Amino acid sequence: MTPGQVLLFTVGGLSNAAYLFIVAAGLSLVFGALRVINMAHGSLYMVAAFVTVVIANQLGAGLGFWGGLLVAVAVAGAIGGVVEVLVLRRVYGREHLVQLLGTYAVSLVVAGGVRIVFGPNYRTVASPIPGHLDLAGYSYASYSLFMIAGAIVIGAGVWTMLYRTNLGRNIRAAVSDPDLLNATGVNVTRLYTTVFVIGAGLAGLGGSIVAPSQAVGSSIDTDVLVLAFAISVIGGLGSIVGSAVGALIVGMVISFGLVIPQTNPFALAFVFIIMTAVLIVRPHGLFGRPES
Amino acid sequence: MVLLALFVVAVPPLAGQYENLNPDASSRYLIFLGTSALVLALWAISYNLMLGYTGMVSFAHAAYFGVGAYALALIFKRYELPFFVALAAAPVVGAIVGLITGLVALRAVRLYFSLLTLAISQLLFSIVFQWYDFTGGDNGISITLPDQLNDYTTLYYFTAAVVVVCLLLMFVIVRSPFGAALLSIRENRDRAASIGINVRAYELAVYTVASLFAGVAGGLFIMYQQQAYPEMLYWTANAQPVVVSLLGGTTTFLGPAVGALIYVALDNAIAKQFPYQFDIILGAIVLGVVLAVPGGISDAPSVFLRLRERFHRGEKAEAPAAESTGEAIRMIDVRKALESEAIQAEAVHSGKMLLRLENLSKRFGGLRAVDDVSLEVRQGDRHAIIGPNGAGKSTLFNLITGRLKPSAGKVTFDGREITGKPPHVIARTGIGRAFQITTIFPKLTVRQNLQYAMLAHGGYTMRPFGVANRMFRNEAQELVEAVGLGPWADLPAGQLSHGDQRAIEIAISLALGSKLVLLDEPTAGMSAYETDKAMELVRRLATERHLTLLFCEHDMAVVFTTARTITVMHQGRVLTAGTPDEIRRNPDVQKVYLGELEEEELGA
Repeated sequence: MTPGQVLLFTVGGLSNAAYLFIVAAGLSLVFGALRVINMAHGSLYMVAAFVTVVIANQLGAGLGFWGGLLVAVAVAGAIGGVVEVLVLRRVYGREHLVQLLGTYAVSLVVAGGVRIVFGPNYRTVASPIPGHLDLAGYSYASYSLFMIAGAIVIGAGVWTMLYRTNLGRNIRAAVSDPDLLNATGVNVTRLYTTVFVIGAGLAGLGGSIVAPSQAVGSSIDTDVLVLAFAISVIGGLGSIVGSAVGALIVGMVISFGLVIPQTNPFALAFVFIIMTAVLIVRPHGLFGRPES
Repeated sequence: MVLLALFVVAVPPLAGQYENLNPDASSRYLIFLGTSALVLALWAISYNLMLGYTGMVSFAHAAYFGVGAYALALIFKRYELPFFVALAAAPVVGAIVGLITGLVALRAVRLYFSLLTLAISQLLFSIVFQWYDFTGGDNGISITLPDQLNDYTTLYYFTAAVVVVCLLLMFVIVRSPFGAALLSIRENRDRAASIGINVRAYELAVYTVASLFAGVAGGLFIMYQQQAYPEMLYWTANAQPVVVSLLGGTTTFLGPAVGALIYVALDNAIAKQFPYQFDIILGAIVLGVVLAVPGGISDAPSVFLRLRERFHRGEKAEAPAAESTGEAIRMIDVRKALESEAIQAEAVHSGKMLLRLENLSKRFGGLRAVDDVSLEVRQGDRHAIIGPNGAGKSTLFNLITGRLKPSAGKVTFDGREITGKPPHVIARTGIGRAFQITTIFPKLTVRQNLQYAMLAHGGYTMRPFGVANRMFRNEAQELVEAVGLGPWADLPAGQLSHGDQRAIEIAISLALGSKLVLLDEPTAGMSAYETDKAMELVRRLATERHLTLLFCEHDMAVVFTTARTITVMHQGRVLTAGTPDEIRRNPDVQKVYLGELEEEELGA
């Protein structure tokens, strides 16, 4: 492999990691605060991707895409809010079994809804940032570079929110002792809704951002969910830093796994082998903490 | 069950009749639907061995179903072995793959177990999907059945026969002591371990058994579909057994079979015209079942029972009056027991050494929670450990029962070293424990709680045959009555009062034949009335059954009326030990408690 190729696949890996990190960060944030694995996380991602594509194609690339992105994130957040109030509130603190099955049911409903509203066909949208950058004999889509930069900004934003704001302080407090937090006058019920809406918004953001670089179809929900699980588990559920590291690992493994002809068919399998290995060696992921 | 069997037999003739009446309908298609319902029922019931009986959510069960189908197809078609050899290989391959992957998945518990099965499922899927030369990749693989099975009615009866045999086998398993062990794991993992069940081994066993039957179902599936494809293994395919189990009810054995019938009917009625709406309906059903009826539709009667009970609760409120009359009589027994105790008291110090702790320490980072503790408990003793909060009492108990591994030191029980052994092994040597937070099996009846403990203690829980509920029935009933819960033997244990649940816990320790019973704050959270009642029971049982007790307790009245030896702990170390009188007079003990009082006052 030439240095130019290494750079090419590294950038490919980074842009995979970019959107996967945004999605996984939402999943991990929700799990950290609410202790619920949201099986419907991928569905929110899919809804946002479809909304973005439809609006961008209606209004034209460029402005249409950015408008679509805003609407899509709002839609994902709103669905998240409804789901939290109607379903999640009734499963907090119950067995994992009930939580898994409950959010799984939501994912079935949303997936069915998406197929009715948007149909079964794959859709695509033109990149809002056309053009490319030539470097060391290969060309790089400007949009890929934008995705990588965007993920860094969003990661920094989530970190700032968690560690530098009142809301973040409350979320972290809710992780360790929701009852005590409630007793100090914080409305924990509303805090949970807020966290879930933020998580859903991140899923939506991931779906919107990925739309110009991938075909959007009605099975992308489970595809991304499985990868987001793998990332969260590798990095440690509940840890934002863990999500970033996990996303980098998964993004790179997929990118480089696809390059080498011998490993090409099994690139995805590697992700799950790594996930399994991490769970065996560190049952709570690289950056995760055991449940109390 | 008989009705269901009759229905299964009657499907083809009924379908024929229906075709005669209604020429548009195809009996062939109806029988095809019947076959698919049978296979789905088998698959879902095997899934429910994990979901309903053990409380495991697996996302890899579809993979073993797919593996079974592929095993049959590959062996029959690629290696050209006889058809029935291929069919017999399907469950074997399913079980082997299940066992190997289960060994990996069961390194984790609960949620992380589910996520590991997801990874395993995707791994198996991508192998089947990508290994084009061997599995045919995304084209799948198709087979042609041998002539003697090619007739759809024959195939139906053949499928029915195989399914019925498999269901009978699984039914025997769930009723057996092995099944009882699974139920107790579902109810309470930690409790199951503390009655001596090796939780992981049982989970692996049921995971493998479920994969075996999923393999059978996969083999039957490819017989009527005549094709296997990689999507069978994709993790979302697990939706089917999950939905079917929930539809029919996870708490009854045949529930999922009913669910399979409903599912196939719904699928046929709705999914053909409205494929997308079908997902929404399935989702809504799962959601409704999960939120409203935890056990599935056939569990709905229990919801009505609960509602009725809530309705009748007003009448029940008068009940305790009768109970307290009996209480007065029992108090007289206590006085008698206390008197006889005076005679036994001397025997304590001549008794055999039962438990010996030598220089036991436990560090959490820099904190020495238990620091160089040495302690001896003799047979027949009632040994109390007291000390202010944070003295290390609970940690010490966890070290003895194996929930924590000591950093240094040695634990010897009944002449055997048990330092650092896993909880289920220690439980089997004869140390019973009642927890700080009451832990019983809430949905099992009071008697079953004890029966299952006796099964575990007797080493019967590996047995996949026999009827668990008929074993040790009389012994358990006797014990239920001994702890004064006779009238409630058939009630779910979770419905009893807090104090009565404590009594069940102590009875479980007795059912385990424990020589030493550890009680961690036996009266925490109890009213004065409940405290008296519970401690009276403890003293009475200890006297009657020659038990050795080791307990920690904050209520000094309880300590000084029950203990014969007291050890005082402070900041992880043993401050002093002696008879209640010696402790009462020891000025250091008073200082420790006074010190705590001062701190509390300062803090407040």
